[in-house]
Amino acid sequence: MNTIDCRNMACPAPVINVKKALEGRTELRVLLDDGAPRENVSRFARNHGFKVDEERNADAWVITITGGNAATAAKPQAFAQDERLLLITSNLLGEGPEELGSLLMKNFLHTLLETAEIPARMFFMNRGVLLTTDGSDVLEALEKLGGMGVEIFSCGLCLDFFGLKDKLKVGNTTNMLTTADSLLAANHVIKL
Amino acid sequence: MGNRLMIQEGHLLAVFNSAHRVMKAESRLKTLGLPILLIPAPRQLQTDCGLALRFREEDRGGIMDALEREKLLPEFVSRYEAGNFVTIWSFADCEAHVR
Repeated sequence: MNTIDCRNMACPAPVINVKKALEGRTELRVLLDDGAPRENVSRFARNHGFKVDEERNADAWVITITGGNAATAAKPQAFAQDERLLLITSNLLGEGPEELGSLLMKNFLHTLLETAEIPARMFFMNRGVLLTTDGSDVLEALEKLGGMGVEIFSCGLCLDFFGLKDKLKVGNTTNMLTTADSLLAANHVIKL
Repeated sequence: MGNRLMIQEGHLLAVFNSAHRVMKAESRLKTLGLPILLIPAPRQLQTDCGLALRFREEDRGGIMDALEREKLLPEFVSRYEAGNFVTIWSFADCEAHVR
């Protein structure tokens, strides 16, 4: 089994390297740092139908990826028909007074708990990550949406930019590759 | 469905008659460190702005005192009990009592 070393790489480099390394292969061993790189690579592999085993050794996380179908490795996970992806790029809803925009966004996210349809995935980018991190007023609602099966992702680069990497309270960190793949694969994308 | 998720047995909801008042109340109470959450008002409650402040019984005294001091008392306060909203305080009754 081939092994690649993706330690000391900034996101999304580990996922991009793993994606390239998996082309034409059905198994791979990856050395990774803990945190977002490990989470993103594992999620990427699982989303592409691979089996993932994680093991910690003295110097790195060792992620063993097996059981894949090389033909599908480069394709993002298919969405079920009618699944919706919500892309939230601000902590405010709409243009206008900040106070009103903040209120509308909070109200919208709370109201999602009682709509007939819920999104399959929610991606928070730019100031949107202020909603998934410490101090947000919608953490309880997002946790409940997570409990209902909604996958919640926050942009790792954005968390880093705002100094919020260790303040994420709900969902997982993701990278641009996963975000772009998901946006292009989704049947319905709603941007706020 | 959602209100059952955001509102649990015993939660209190303060309902206001304007968006500006409820937003101001949220801001003042947060500044004072009082534990409230601004949420969409349940469909069962008649509100003009569709918003309510949610809090717990143990914090009711501090919250209502602060709202009175700030002249931001709500229209009414309801308690969620066994699937129903029971009005436990109303501004109209309070005013009538004062007079």
